[in-house]
Parts: sequence; C-alpha cells; structure tokens
Amino acid sequence: MATASPALPSPGRYRRIFRGLLIPVLALLTALVAGALVMHLSGDNAQDAYIGLFKGAFGSAKGWAATIRKMIPFILTGLSVAVAFKAGLFNIGASGQFVMGTVFSVFIGINFEGLPMAIHLPLAIVFGIVGGALWGAIPGILKVYTGAHEVIVTIMLNYVAALFAGWTVYAGGSQGQTPGPLWDRTAGPISETPDVLASARLPYLFDPSYRIHYGVFIALAAVVFIWWLIYKTTIGFEIRTVGQNMKAARYAGIRVNWTVILTMGIAGGLAGLAGAVETLGLNHKFAPEFGGQVGFDGITIALLGQTHPFGVVLSSLLFGALDAGASKMQFDSRVSADIIQIIQALVLAFVAAPMIIRALYRIKRLPTESESTSLGTSWGGS
Amino acid sequence: MRTFRSTWLFALLLISALVLAACPAPAAPVADSDAAAPAEAAPAATEAPAAEAPDFKIGLVTDVGRVNDRSFNQSAWEGVLKAQADLGLTEDDVKYIETQDAKDYADNMGQFIDAGYNVIVTVGFALGDATIEAANNNPDILFIGVDQFQGEALPNLAGLIFHEDQSGYLAGVLAASMTDSGTIAAVLGTDLVPPVVAFNEGYIAGAKSVNPDINVISTYHPGEISQAFVDPEWGAATAKQAIDQGADVVFGAGGITGNGALQEVATHEGLYCIGVDTDQWDTVPAAQPCLISSAMKLIVPGVAELITAAHDGNFSGGNVFGAAGLASFHDFESVIPQEVKDLLVTTKAGLDDGSISTGYGN
Repeated sequence: MATASPALPSPGRYRRIFRGLLIPVLALLTALVAGALVMHLSGDNAQDAYIGLFKGAFGSAKGWAATIRKMIPFILTGLSVAVAFKAGLFNIGASGQFVMGTVFSVFIGINFEGLPMAIHLPLAIVFGIVGGALWGAIPGILKVYTGAHEVIVTIMLNYVAALFAGWTVYAGGSQGQTPGPLWDRTAGPISETPDVLASARLPYLFDPSYRIHYGVFIALAAVVFIWWLIYKTTIGFEIRTVGQNMKAARYAGIRVNWTVILTMGIAGGLAGLAGAVETLGLNHKFAPEFGGQVGFDGITIALLGQTHPFGVVLSSLLFGALDAGASKMQFDSRVSADIIQIIQALVLAFVAAPMIIRALYRIKRLPTESESTSLGTSWGGS
Repeated sequence: MRTFRSTWLFALLLISALVLAACPAPAAPVADSDAAAPAEAAPAATEAPAAEAPDFKIGLVTDVGRVNDRSFNQSAWEGVLKAQADLGLTEDDVKYIETQDAKDYADNMGQFIDAGYNVIVTVGFALGDATIEAANNNPDILFIGVDQFQGEALPNLAGLIFHEDQSGYLAGVLAASMTDSGTIAAVLGTDLVPPVVAFNEGYIAGAKSVNPDINVISTYHPGEISQAFVDPEWGAATAKQAIDQGADVVFGAGGITGNGALQEVATHEGLYCIGVDTDQWDTVPAAQPCLISSAMKLIVPGVAELITAAHDGNFSGGNVFGAAGLASFHDFESVIPQEVKDLLVTTKAGLDDGSISTGYGN
C-alpha cells in the first residue's frame, strides 16, 4: 500500500505514514491483549510476564544487546521477503536461502588460512550472498520458463537446502562412512564445521560478552540500499510495476521474465547475506541446529513492516525484543516461552487479515489503499 | 448498534488490560532491577547475591526441546526436582528456562548467572560449547552438562554422559535372543546426533554377538535435525516396512519418532519392541502390548546425585558416567526365558568390567 500510485492526490506524507503504522500497531496491541488472556486462562501472571519481557529486551545493556543482535538476521530475511513481495512474488524460501548463504560463507571462512582480513572477510560475505542469490534465482527461473509457482518451489528448496547443509557436515567419519566435506575432523561424532578463521569473522562491537558484531551496520546498509533500489532506480520501478500488474508491465516493454528472476535473486542474496552475517559474526561455525527458522520469521516481519524497508526495521525491532525478552520473562514469571510464539503468530494473523483489525476498531479504508496487503498478483495470473 | 456495542466492549477490555499491566509496574520490579544492575557490571562476582542468600538455587536450561518432552529434557528436570526434594529445598529454589533458538543458550544461562544461582544444569550435547564458556567465566558456579563429553576437565563443570552403545548392546542381545524370524529392526532419529548412532552401533553389535548371521534392518530418519525426533508417522511407517520384511523385534530410538514405531509394533500380534532413554512402559503406555524393555540412560538419578554432590561440597569436574542399562521387563517377566536373563546379566557385567567391547567409537 505504500506503493500507492504517485498520480493520485497524496493524502500527505505524515498522514500516509500514520495510516501505514495504524494496522500493524493495532495488530500488535490486539495480539498482546489476546496473549494476556491466554496467560490468564492458563493460570499465569500476564503482568509479570510482560514486565519481564520488557525488562529482558530493554531493561539493561545486555538486554539491548540481545535485542539488537536478534534484529540483524530479522532485518535481512524480512527485506528478502519484502523485496519479493514488491514484484508480486511470495518468497517462502528465505529459510533455504539463509542456509545456503551460511554454507557458502562458512566454506570460505574455514579455508584459505593466511588471507588478510581485508580480503577474507569480504570474500566470505560475498560468497554468502552468491549462495543465497543462486538458490533464490532457481524458483525465479522455474517460474518464468516452466510456470512452476514460486511458493511451491521455494518451500521444497528449503528442504533440499537443509538436507544439503546437513550432509556437508555429516560426521560419518567416526562410523567409517564418508563424512561431509565441511565436517570438523576433530569434532568426533559431532556433526559440525570447524570454527571460522579469525580473519573471516565480523569483529565484535563493545565487549565480546555483549555478542554484538559489525553485522548490524551491514544490515542497516542493506536497508538503505534496498530502499534506494526499490524507490529511486529504474530497476525498482520495474520491480514494482511487475508486482502491480504483470501484463501491463509486459505491455509497457518491461522485461518481466528478467525482472522476476532478478528479484528472486536479490531476495535470495539478502537471505544468504543474513546467513553469512549470522555465521561470521555470531555462530562462527555451522551445525545443523543453526537452521533457517529465521527465514520463516522474515515472512511475518515483511508483512508487519508493510513490505517497506523502514517498516521491516521497525518490525524487526519488535520481533528482536520479543525473542530477547523471552529468556528473562521465563525467569521472572515462569511463563513458558511458547507465549512468545503465540503472540508472534497472532500478529501475523492480524496483519495478514487486516479486515479483522478494521472491523474490530472500525477503521475505514482510504480509496488509495488496497485490501490484502501485498500478497498481490502472485496467485492470480502470470 | 450491535457492532457499535461490541467494539466499545473490546476497547474497554483493551484499556483495562493495559491499565492492569501498567499500574503496579513501578512498584514491583524495583528490587529486582537493583539486584540485577550490579551483577551486570561484574558478571563473575558472587558477593552480592550469594552472600545475602545462603540458600541453594538450581537452574536448568533446555536445548530447543521442552521440559515435558518425555525424553531427556524432562528426565533432567525430574532429576532437579528429585534433588530439590532430597535436599529439602523450596519450589522457588529451582527454575528452568526453555530455549527457543540455539543461539540463546548463553543468554539463558546468563539469567541464572546474574541471579547468583549455585548450580546450572544444561541439557543436551548442543549446549556443550556454551556451557564450557560459561564455566570458564564463572568459576564460582557449578555446571552440570547432560550428554556433554568433556575434552578437558574443568573443576566446576561435570559432563554427565552415558554409554549409549552399551545399553544399545544389551537391547541388541535381548532382541536377537527373542526373535524367531532371525530378522530384527531399529527405527532411529537422525545420524547427525551422536548418541543415536551409538545406540544403533551397540544394538547391531549386541545382536551379532548372539547370532552372527542375524539380519538387522536399521533405518535413520532421513530428515533434518528439527524433524528427525518429532515424526511419529515416519516412525510407524518405517516399523511397518521392517515388519513386512520379516522383523519381529523392533528397537525404537529417536524421541517421538521412535515412539511412533513402538506404537505401530504394538498393533501387531506377537511382535516385540524395545524403547529408549527412559522406561517407556511409563511414558508410552500405548506400546505396552509389545514393550519387553527399554535401553535406558538413567538421567534422573545421575542429575540428582551430581546436584547433591554439589550441595555437599563433593563436586568434581570432568566426565561422569551415568548408569546405562535395560529397564525391567514388566509384564514380559514370564515370557523372557531365564537363560536370556542370565545372558543379559553376564553381558552387563562384561560391559562394565571392559571384557566385552561394543566396538563403537574405536
């Protein structure tokens, strides 16, 4: 809806921002109230839980650190899904692209000992982007040339990526079978890669115990870059036009096929960058338990952020805070962390179905606003 | 009019909920945040919280499972509760945090560290690295790592580990002794997790020690790690397949996936199944028609004993081997021949004194 055609009379910049924030904020409030009801019904103290949640996310330097640390992959996978939405594509594959970015960057990160950091680190990051971009481009290519729907293909490629990544670190060596190529030979029966070399690690900001790394600047740079790309360049205009009406775009002379593949490649590259940054900045290795769940969170974050790059930052802040606060919430109130997932799921439900929120709070639609957020043309026709 | 009223009702609810949540906020948490602040500045320091609270506090951090998983998170938590009862502690002295994301292990341990807990139990080999780091940074806190092998011993970190291959070996001996068809099966979680592999390798070796020509159909879940232990349908289908190929004893080792296999076998007349980790006679009642035993890791007493040792000042770091063995035969006590029981006793003795090797890990 932020893409409302510039030809129509604009309702004013601030008013537009207000309208854009209205539904997500109300969705969040409603989800929090519903979460409180759930806690009340299951005999928990919702007040203690929410206070603990807030204190855990913002109540201390460590809390802030955890919130920011968790925002980094959320921003990048959220951008990934949001960019695809702009072209009317539903990228459910951020999870698999994240995993492929991880594997590609870790491959560079654990090899090439002796390279200076100025070469090694950027190389590992670029490989992460390339890994994700290639993985993202596959559903784009299949959609263009075979008509295979990107939702189905990306979902299936998530499984392929997860299994591929598991194979690369498979610890078969300890059982006399062929081990995976990235498996750490000193890890015994444990399936994981060796640690990423120091020259390929994103340095920590502040004290290492805060575990915040320079990836935060990479994520913010990506936000600005994507905003510029989508709203200030020809490519971005083409992406948005394809998203609004594929047939009209084709008629207008836009290379629709190329744009679809390019958009999926960019989306995949962003998710791959998320995987690279998480690996090189935080985990310092790959093991199967570092899966791509964050790629699925990206869908909620993109929708909650109204598929706008700056909205993605705000919703990442929210989700980062919810996840960061969960630990202290459990400690203070003994409420199960499952409540966090309930709240996140409710937020998604309310944002994806804005009718509920509109009906609940009796918000009228502006003529410039379309109903379903951004799921766009993907299902209808291509 | 009707929609109008319900909207107002909802708004009222919203406002009252917010007011409820907001009102006493300033009063309650002050004491807490004061206590938390100094701990933040000096994480390793024990003076403030420990000195004013002479009581003994135990925290537990799960892996990405839940404390009611009927498997090792639950067993470890029950071990904490047993220690709480044994030591006469109150309910407030023990607490757990369930981990949502593999990257949060350090944060979750940090809650207990900052609050001045005396003992922190971490469950699962995936927490190994984070636990070692926390133990290094907090020499005054004692850590217990369930399923965590210690390469170098730290004085304040005990890795509670089990010879899964040995209890798997006993299960294999039992299975090979009870089969009529000469074909037995194992339905397993993923081979990305070492203890699962150990169970299977031990099972095969044990079966071959009874009958070198035995046919063992063992199948690992092919999925990713987050799927492999929570897929009872796959477990049931795989058990069914093995039964169709003639298997008449099935070992189910892999969380809920393995439970699915046990439940499938229970629907077939005259077949046997063997459970894993805990005595599954209690945890999976649906498997009772076929369940002749379980290859157990005795986590509950293992955790409880380590906590008691910590409380009494007898704690020592490094690897601590918990007891592993077969659960009781329950209703099959009379079905299992005495010579098989004798064989299991001598095999257990042989494994314990090292005269029998399972061949795993060499």
